[in-house]
Amino acid sequence: MEIIAAYGTVFLILAVIFGLYMTWGVGANDLANAMGTSVGAGAVTVKQAIAIAIIFEFLGAVLAGGHVTDTIRKGIIDPSGIADTPEILVYGMLASLLASAIWLMIASAKGWPVSTTHSIIGAIIGFAIVALGPEAVKWQKVGGVVMSWLISPLVGGTISFLLVMSTRKLIFDTDNPLKNAKRYAPVYIFLVGFIISLVTLFKGLEHLHLNLTTLQSFAVATGIGLLTGFIGWMFIRGIKDDPTANKSFSYASVEKVFTPMMLFTACSMAFAHGSNDVANGIGPLAAVFSIVTSGGEVMQKSTLPVWILLLGGFGIVLGLVTFGFRVMQTIGKRITELTPSRGFCAELGAAITVVIASRTGLPVSTTHILVGAVLGVGLARGIGALDLRVVLNIIVSWLVTLPAGAGMAMIIFFTLKGIFG
Amino acid sequence: MPSSRSLSGLLRGSPFKPIQEHMRVVFSCVCLIPPLFDAVYREDSEQVNDFAQQIKELETKADKLKSTFRLNMPKSLFLPVDRKDLLSLIGDQDKIADTTEDIGKTFLFRDMVVPEEIKALLDELLEGTMEISAAARQMIEQLDELLEVGFAGRELDKVTQMIAGVRTSEHNIDEIVHRIRRKLFTLEKELDPISAMFWYRIIDLVAGISDQSENLADRVLLFLSK
Repeated sequence: MEIIAAYGTVFLILAVIFGLYMTWGVGANDLANAMGTSVGAGAVTVKQAIAIAIIFEFLGAVLAGGHVTDTIRKGIIDPSGIADTPEILVYGMLASLLASAIWLMIASAKGWPVSTTHSIIGAIIGFAIVALGPEAVKWQKVGGVVMSWLISPLVGGTISFLLVMSTRKLIFDTDNPLKNAKRYAPVYIFLVGFIISLVTLFKGLEHLHLNLTTLQSFAVATGIGLLTGFIGWMFIRGIKDDPTANKSFSYASVEKVFTPMMLFTACSMAFAHGSNDVANGIGPLAAVFSIVTSGGEVMQKSTLPVWILLLGGFGIVLGLVTFGFRVMQTIGKRITELTPSRGFCAELGAAITVVIASRTGLPVSTTHILVGAVLGVGLARGIGALDLRVVLNIIVSWLVTLPAGAGMAMIIFFTLKGIFG
Repeated sequence: MPSSRSLSGLLRGSPFKPIQEHMRVVFSCVCLIPPLFDAVYREDSEQVNDFAQQIKELETKADKLKSTFRLNMPKSLFLPVDRKDLLSLIGDQDKIADTTEDIGKTFLFRDMVVPEEIKALLDELLEGTMEISAAARQMIEQLDELLEVGFAGRELDKVTQMIAGVRTSEHNIDEIVHRIRRKLFTLEKELDPISAMFWYRIIDLVAGISDQSENLADRVLLFLSK
């Protein structure tokens, strides 16, 4: 208790710095992926993508980021055994943040497809094993999280597969694809707004003291869906048949309808990313804050303050503006193989999955889900060629990241303990 | 960048684009056959040389495209069609260019005089060959569209019709080839024996182009039946 009293401010400052560092890394690298498909398809320019990201990352973090943050700060380990020495938990959380941030830097430099989520979870488990003993880890919960890493790409893939099939049935395989594309596009855009907002609103805004009933949630979600659908319709209604473009590729005009639709999935991807990945950086920060302000209460009964969510959003935006800009440019140039209709299905499938995971408090990997969604489109025979080596790389990086994050967190934990006593 | 590479690494270039590009080169090869024959008719050896040379260059270009394509088709690729079928398809396309080159070469090393009696039939054969290879090319150009609709539905019907069209053309060409052979047979006594032999060979080569075009159609049919 004395240590908390003596170094509380130092701990908090360190936590803020490490948390910002981590969210900066997430913004610099991770987000570019989530939105790269929209940039690559030419739906948005890099600048527009940045603007969208700033707005919707914040919204996602603040409106829907609380559940995952709670999981990371208090869902994975049970600190009741160290109620007398709360500083252990503070060291552990600081160590986890620093360890996963460093691991991400190494992985970035080497080009490994590492997930932020996996490294922070690995780090927390790692420090908990050495500091609190293996029995303090809520293995059942960890098992659930690990299962979600396996299941979420499958869910994303299934949703995108079904979306691709529906676009074929309703639009491409009809007598007048362009007419049908313009007819159904607002419906798809409605779905983007409706599903994302419904998942978020449905009993999900307690931390903002906003308790909507089921009916109210549905009403607001429908309203948002209609609004997005209308905005989408404004974009789409002007699109005319382009016979010259159709000559080389007869669905060129139809694909043009999907281009503005990817603007909406870009927004939803940024929102989904903010709702899930921001927690990786601020979960441990929130834990430290809670312990320090409560004067050493390890069970963290207090609710998550909104400013921490805002800080996380700020960190991601900072990463995006300073570094992610360039990453997005390079990725946008590379990801040109997805036609807008396919990109739309993949992004929407991924965004829905991530938001559902966020709502249930499961920390998942946005990138891996997007990879799963793209594979789903591929299974629908919708993509020219997918290199499955990437999937193998992801599995390998998975198996490496958990122990690597854990090991580094252990080392940093003992270092911090040595410094502060 | 870690995660960034995973997505851009996952999405590889569509295999249909290089196949289409290859087919365009092959087709421009075939397009040189009628002017080549025309030069042979006129016994203009300079022009014959020139066209044969152009065919050779295009064939080399097609060969290069084929090799690059094969090198970029690792087994780890997940494709909407069978990988082996794709590799065989580009192989079959390349055979058309090879056959064209063989025709050109034959005229290069042997100054051939066209018997007046077969000129009309030869023209008919060349016209049919151009038709069938144009149809084959058009069919290959539809692969993009097929991908867009997942190798099913209306686009499938359209391509199935194209395949049937290629088949009918091949049948017609078989019939023309038969008539030329018949004609050559009646001329055999008047022709120099070696020339007669070479004319049979050249006709076989030209007929080979339509056979190979039909093979392309069969390959594409395999994509559809997956």
